[in-house]
Amino acid sequence: MLSIQNLSKTYPNGVQALKNVTLEIPRGMFGLLGPNGAGKSTLMRTIATLQAADSGTIMLDDLDVLKRREEVRKVLGYLPQEFGVYPRISALSMLDHFALLKGVTNKGERKRVVEGLLRQTNLWEVRKRRLDTYSGGMKQRFGIAQALLGDPRLIIVDEPTAGLDPEERNRFHNLLAEIGENVVVLLSTHIVEDVRDLCSQMAIISEGEVLLSGKPEEIIRGIDGKIWVKEIEKAELESYKSEHTVISTRLYGGKTLIHVHGDTAPPGFSPVTPDLKDVYFSALKRVA
Amino acid sequence: MWLRIARFELFYQFKQPLIYIMWLLFFLLTFGAVSSDSVQVGGAIGNVNRNAPFVIVQLMSVMSIIGIFAITAFVAGAALRDFDKKTAELYFSKPIRKLDYIFGRFIGSTFLSILAVSGSAFGIFFGSMMPWVDPERIGPFMIDPYLFSMGVMVIPNVILISAIFFVVASATRSMLFTYLGVVVFFVAYSISGQFRRNLDSEYLASLLDPFGMSAFQNATKYWTISEKITIVPPFEGALLQNRMIWVGVAALVFLLGYVTFSYTKRASKKKKILLDGSIGEAAAAAVGQAPPRAQVNFRSGTALSQYAGQAKVEIFSILKSVPFLVMLLFGIANVIGGASQTHQFFGTSLLPATYLMVQTIEGSYVFLLIIIMTFYAGELVWRERALKMDGMYDALPFPDWVPFAAKLTALFLVSICFLAIGVLTTMGYQAFRGYTQFEMMVYLKGMFMLCYPFFLACVLAIVVQVLSKNKFLGYLVMILYLISDVIFLAFHMEHNLYIFGGSPSATWSDMNGFGHFVEPKAWFFAYWTLVTVVLVTIAIVYWRRGTEEPFRKRTIEAKRRWRGLVKFATLGSIAGAAALGAFIFYNTNVLNEYMTGDEGKDRSADYEKQYRQYLGEPQPRVTAVSIDADLYPSERRLDMKARYTYVNKTDAPIARLYMNQPPRSEIRSMDIGGHSVHMADSTLGFYVLDLDRPMAPGEERPFVFEVAVTNDGFRNGATDYALVGNGSFWNSRHYLPVFGYDPAHELLDRNDRRKRELPPPHRMNKIDDEAARMDNYISIDGDWIEFEATVSTDPDQIAIAPGYLQREWEADGRRYFHYEMDAPILNFYAFLSGRYEVYRDKWQDVDIEIYHHPAHDSNIPRMADAMKKSLDYFTANFSPYQHRQARIIEFPRYDIFAQSFPNTIPFSEGFGFIMNHEKEEDIDFVFYVTAHEIAHQWWAHQVMGGNMQGSTMLVETMAQYSALMVMEKEFGKENMRKFLKYELDRYLSARGGELIEEMPLLLVENQQYIHYRKGSVVMYALQDYIGEENLNAAIADYIAEVGFQEPPYTTSLEFYEHVKAATPDSLQSVLVDLFETITLFENRVTDVAAEEDGNGGYTVHLSIAAAKYRSDGQGVETEIPIADWVDIGVFGEDDAVLYLAKHKIDAGEMTIDIAVEAEPVEAGVDPFHKLIDRNSSDNRKKIQL
Repeated sequence: MLSIQNLSKTYPNGVQALKNVTLEIPRGMFGLLGPNGAGKSTLMRTIATLQAADSGTIMLDDLDVLKRREEVRKVLGYLPQEFGVYPRISALSMLDHFALLKGVTNKGERKRVVEGLLRQTNLWEVRKRRLDTYSGGMKQRFGIAQALLGDPRLIIVDEPTAGLDPEERNRFHNLLAEIGENVVVLLSTHIVEDVRDLCSQMAIISEGEVLLSGKPEEIIRGIDGKIWVKEIEKAELESYKSEHTVISTRLYGGKTLIHVHGDTAPPGFSPVTPDLKDVYFSALKRVA
Repeated sequence: MWLRIARFELFYQFKQPLIYIMWLLFFLLTFGAVSSDSVQVGGAIGNVNRNAPFVIVQLMSVMSIIGIFAITAFVAGAALRDFDKKTAELYFSKPIRKLDYIFGRFIGSTFLSILAVSGSAFGIFFGSMMPWVDPERIGPFMIDPYLFSMGVMVIPNVILISAIFFVVASATRSMLFTYLGVVVFFVAYSISGQFRRNLDSEYLASLLDPFGMSAFQNATKYWTISEKITIVPPFEGALLQNRMIWVGVAALVFLLGYVTFSYTKRASKKKKILLDGSIGEAAAAAVGQAPPRAQVNFRSGTALSQYAGQAKVEIFSILKSVPFLVMLLFGIANVIGGASQTHQFFGTSLLPATYLMVQTIEGSYVFLLIIIMTFYAGELVWRERALKMDGMYDALPFPDWVPFAAKLTALFLVSICFLAIGVLTTMGYQAFRGYTQFEMMVYLKGMFMLCYPFFLACVLAIVVQVLSKNKFLGYLVMILYLISDVIFLAFHMEHNLYIFGGSPSATWSDMNGFGHFVEPKAWFFAYWTLVTVVLVTIAIVYWRRGTEEPFRKRTIEAKRRWRGLVKFATLGSIAGAAALGAFIFYNTNVLNEYMTGDEGKDRSADYEKQYRQYLGEPQPRVTAVSIDADLYPSERRLDMKARYTYVNKTDAPIARLYMNQPPRSEIRSMDIGGHSVHMADSTLGFYVLDLDRPMAPGEERPFVFEVAVTNDGFRNGATDYALVGNGSFWNSRHYLPVFGYDPAHELLDRNDRRKRELPPPHRMNKIDDEAARMDNYISIDGDWIEFEATVSTDPDQIAIAPGYLQREWEADGRRYFHYEMDAPILNFYAFLSGRYEVYRDKWQDVDIEIYHHPAHDSNIPRMADAMKKSLDYFTANFSPYQHRQARIIEFPRYDIFAQSFPNTIPFSEGFGFIMNHEKEEDIDFVFYVTAHEIAHQWWAHQVMGGNMQGSTMLVETMAQYSALMVMEKEFGKENMRKFLKYELDRYLSARGGELIEEMPLLLVENQQYIHYRKGSVVMYALQDYIGEENLNAAIADYIAEVGFQEPPYTTSLEFYEHVKAATPDSLQSVLVDLFETITLFENRVTDVAAEEDGNGGYTVHLSIAAAKYRSDGQGVETEIPIADWVDIGVFGEDDAVLYLAKHKIDAGEMTIDIAVEAEPVEAGVDPFHKLIDRNSSDNRKKIQL
């Protein structure tokens, strides 16, 4: 159980990245949903011992994350949003090296773990290839392999699916889904489907603040009967925006489809069963 | 279109830092070279103006060659960028013609290169305007030299380099291969440099030098100062041809590159991105399982394993990286080049002794280590960040010290590996030269002494990078550190306690090992090691982990980490360094005197300012010397008791004595028959003493001194190396008092003098100064003396002093030697002591003895041979040898010279004993030096000139002549021609470096290039004109007249009278040319043809041009009519002389017909270089039949 209390962080350039963030993150997959620049990465880096906070606490069970970084690192698996690798080195050697740095000092043990992870991430056949020749998806899977090294109790994956094609994303989801229920997995994304597919708990964060948190189905239930849909002409959009809380617009067969939030149906709108996207956009509009 | 592409290239680079960094680098290099003596580019500027046209052209040419690295960066970048950045397809799909693309990129990057190198012009311009530069060394601003440098040297060179490496880069599509190409090119260039140094192919070498440096040097090599500071060479002849050839080559290379250029050629097989589909779903079975569990543990050994693993990864990352491999290859090539050029003397090389190899590594290799360490310190510290893997990496559970320690270890191990390869290279070279005593301990110790400070600096480089905000700032700080030596020097700050990693220098000697140099070095190393440990702890606590934070926040984190062992190490090391620093300070500044070079010069200036007033005060003169010297080699301690007999040789009483006492020694007691001290200046070592009882004219009085030399503790800088564990060598001037003001202490450099408000250096006394004849130029307070000495030393050493060994005994565990001289000697003597092996031989009834280090025995027989042959010639032609013994004694290589004392010749191990005379027919340098030193037993120790102009001709020129005659007998006339050509070349080249005024030989003022180099040429020509026997007879007469003469001493004019008397009237004018004036010839063959005369013989038609010049002391020449007898020669196969006779040349152009009997091959005017000819390479010409 990861417990974040009143966490704040302001960067030297004045940007307030975290504003009094409080979150309770139980074991299992936890999705952190938010637009780019919402403070997701700051939060995750802070939990991953890479950055100090101005105030607040983070507790992993009874471990003070901000004070006892060394201890946290021993149980942490972290996949940053963007990462590189040493050039001119194979996946096998690199993973072996990471395993050593994770504290798997026994050679045979290391070999077993590394091989197992390479198989599981479907990199076994290319294990001897240089990492700098990997495609984006392969690299991402390598990243998750290293994050899973050494039995972490806390796994943090930051925007793992950005830049992956649908098939790669799918594979990646399968992999994440295997991670045991007994560890805390914190996943940040700006793609709603990632959370929908994977997470049993979630939070929506924007401009450094937590807007919503809970189980996805419960959150969706919270806006049940409040989302309405209508097909309009593109030129009409502005006038709708001024009259209603338009939470999303999208093109559908050449027409513009808008969702609005409201307690009652506006004229000409029909009800729609809300999904996580509607929750997300409502939350960003601060209406949910 | 190409113009637009070129412009694009420019604007692209203007947005990158490279062009600015390069420009600044070139600016700083020349700025430093012009505005200070600490920075040298291609040798010191010398005595010409700092902004003399000659200096400007030279500096800028060198810059354009060094620029090869910068230029390659620009052109290879332009050629490869589209391929590296994968924009090639984008570019090549556009409708751009190949010519436009290539030419545009080429022109753009070449222009950038020229721009970068032009920074050096601004560096010179601004450097010469700096207020601290001596205004007397700055000439007026001239635009010509800048235009000449840019137009004739820099731009063609840059175009050539650009073309070559643009094409290499385009063809190989690889930065690695391009830089390897640069290495190969550099190596090839230095090989062609070897070729250039061979004088016979000067013109060809001028053409073949791709950078035109040889052409420039050959066009200006005999320039005098007045030429160097006023003009640039004319753009004609070999220089013009060279430039045209090489710009043509550049065009050809470019054309070739253009023709073979292809858009589609792939760089290489690498970087083929794998496709996911290619791996299939074979491993799908594994999906669906939980991740494998692993046993992690964080015992105490875990961090060590992590450290070792990380170090391994770092080591391979460096070993596999391009810059390292390029620098390694370049280093190997450079060290081989350097080793093959170790000290050549007249074609004789030194044995590749191990310490010379270490020296070579120091000179040609270690600078690369510094670059590697600095560069990779930045690379390694910032690697995870540059690769964007810091997020992943920094969250891993290893202690903070692990990455730092691993990276440092990797850098250390790679450096050691780099050095080991350097050593293996020189060992390979030694084996190639057939030298197989590898002396591993010398390598090990030598490399350690040399490189340990660099390893400390390597830690510094890492710490700087850790603290720095980014990598480039870190590099900038390290560059400042690297040039801080220069800055410290400029401010006369020389103490090794604050120059990071500093320690006194140490010189290896086979005789003495590293001797007493080890102790101070060890203390300083220990001190700097502790300082470095403090740096290490700083690096650990400040090591970056996680997101970059402002320094203030990092300090908070650092304080948190500063605990336990790290805190203990910081505090312990600070305490230790403070204690060691105090101990060192006690040794260098309390037990010994700490003095900067500048303060030393101040003292010389003070000495002159305060005491020159006493110059020429009448003083008693020493007539007999008896010395008891007790040397304690292991303590480097010496006690001497000197009993002098002084006589008042003047005709007035002497009541006041002016005594110089070298501050290196301490007077323990002094008895000069009762005196009082009128003035004592112990700092400058000058005392004015009033005798209780004045010395009457003719009175003889014993003076007894006891002096002690102790070497307590150690010094910061140059250690006294006269007294050492094995191979002590000190002379009478080192520690014993001398009476009278001694002008030898005065500053000589006119700039040093001007800074201290002293007049220009005092010239030597004029030749007609009769008073100056009362002194000789070696000793100011004595003439010919009686000498005896008793020297004691350790029982395993032999001690030597002039004279004959009377008795040798042991007492109290010490060994005593008593020497007595049976003939009068000059008041100049030396003592030596060492563990010697003695070679003994005999010439007639003279004992030949060579005292040498046991391992140095390869040249002993030739030395002995030279001694005997010299004694043969000199006794047969000049006068009898005054001693019954001739001894050569080896001394350590702290100095490299040989010097002749009465029957005693100390000879440095640094050249005579490790010369390698490989080719039997070549002149043997050991033979030459030995003959020269033996000749000094006549020239100096029999004939001594007064303290005035011309006297060094009597000593040094005559020793040269004597040695030449012995050598001619040994090696033949053809070898003498070679030797004299070297001598002539060295004379003509050195004229331009004259500080004050070039004198004619007869009036030489201790100018080495005149009394040695010109002297050889003049005396050889003289014996050729008037005959060897005739000249030697005149010399023998002269010695008979002036040998062992009491004052007034002889002068060069007296010698000249004898020469004149031996010279026929027809040749008197030649004497004027040789001795009285600076006369130069410009003789050359303009045309030569030959035809058969019908009787089996040939007629040679030789057309010559001849000119004769007189030069003044500043090198300003005037042509005078020629009317001289000059050699005309015709040569057949194998240089056989078919005809050689002197012809009267009395017109500027002449045609001479000569009949010869065999087929002529070559003909020439002055073919044996007997005249001083400003261009000796055009004196011969091949004959077209």
